[in-house]
Amino acid sequence: MNAPPRLFDRRLHRLRLQRAAGLGSAADFLRRRAAEDAAFRLSGILRDFPFAVELGARDDLFLQALRGTPAEGRIGRLVRAGLSEKSLSGRDRGGSGPRVVADEERLPFAPQSLNLIVSLLSLHWTNDVVGALIQARQALKPDGLFLGALLGGATLHELRTALTEAELELHGGAGPRVSPFADAHDGASLLQRAGFALPVSDIDRLTVRYPHPLALLNDLRAMGETNVLAERNPRPLTRRVLGRALEIYQARYGLDDGRVPATFEIVTLTGWAPDASQPQPLKPGSAKMRLADALGVVEHRLP
Amino acid sequence: MTDDRSPEVDPRLLEVLVCPVTRGPLEYDRERAELVSRGAKLAYPIRDGVPIMLPEEARALEG
Repeated sequence: MNAPPRLFDRRLHRLRLQRAAGLGSAADFLRRRAAEDAAFRLSGILRDFPFAVELGARDDLFLQALRGTPAEGRIGRLVRAGLSEKSLSGRDRGGSGPRVVADEERLPFAPQSLNLIVSLLSLHWTNDVVGALIQARQALKPDGLFLGALLGGATLHELRTALTEAELELHGGAGPRVSPFADAHDGASLLQRAGFALPVSDIDRLTVRYPHPLALLNDLRAMGETNVLAERNPRPLTRRVLGRALEIYQARYGLDDGRVPATFEIVTLTGWAPDASQPQPLKPGSAKMRLADALGVVEHRLP
Repeated sequence: MTDDRSPEVDPRLLEVLVCPVTRGPLEYDRERAELVSRGAKLAYPIRDGVPIMLPEEARALEG
């Protein structure tokens, strides 16, 4: 069997995260939103999670979001697992509590050892999302919950277009500069392929308005989200191409007030590690009553 | 802050950790602050109470 294509350079991603750890936290609005959303969703689930892991953790945003919610009391121990010890232990934002440096692509958790795994906006950097989800499912106890947020396909589509067009215009060819993201509508099937029961996926789309496209690029750097594609464009992004891309961005997407929009799409996935106690689908053909009778209509045979 | 030892790892965390390479068990070497995977012949460091479970950061064991 061939290995799946290697999209991302995980080692470089780790370096980017370590670098971002020192860049302050003004740009963490996306992760804060995902963290608050996850805490809200967990608050609606009446169940205790004695041992939980936050995968791809960077700071204490999720811990903060949990504080004061009904979910806080139901989560026993929360271990934060992330790629960068610098951001996990940052003096201002990392805080204390159990932590471990781990890679989503090679999880160090024993099979069936956890009750809950939360992953906030980090799985879009894994080379094999389904593989990472399978590892998460294996680490969960039966009936354990996975709650993950990842960036969907429409994310940064304006930037992708502007960079591609600028490069085509000036060099007659273009290479990848913005990550491919999971198609938002694939969410539930990703979970299903990874063997989760009761998979649910939904999409939250938001538009951020920036005074200038450069402000967006600064935010991406501060988020540790700059390009780590393994097949990065060998031609470095020149000042000329970047300048042209910013012009195209502004001309095509600029708003009346001079600002520019940037689209982010957050796909939230929830799935449960299979357990006999969960509702199971019946075998096809096992129905004891005709649907037509239940609906009070005449059944027609299809041609 | 007179204690100059490295902070201890959360004992419940140690119970659920396995080697990310072999998925096999780990031995806790308190003295050296390492988690040893005999199967992978790697010793994962523990820094400031945080286990670093990355093979590229681990010390290769002889033999």
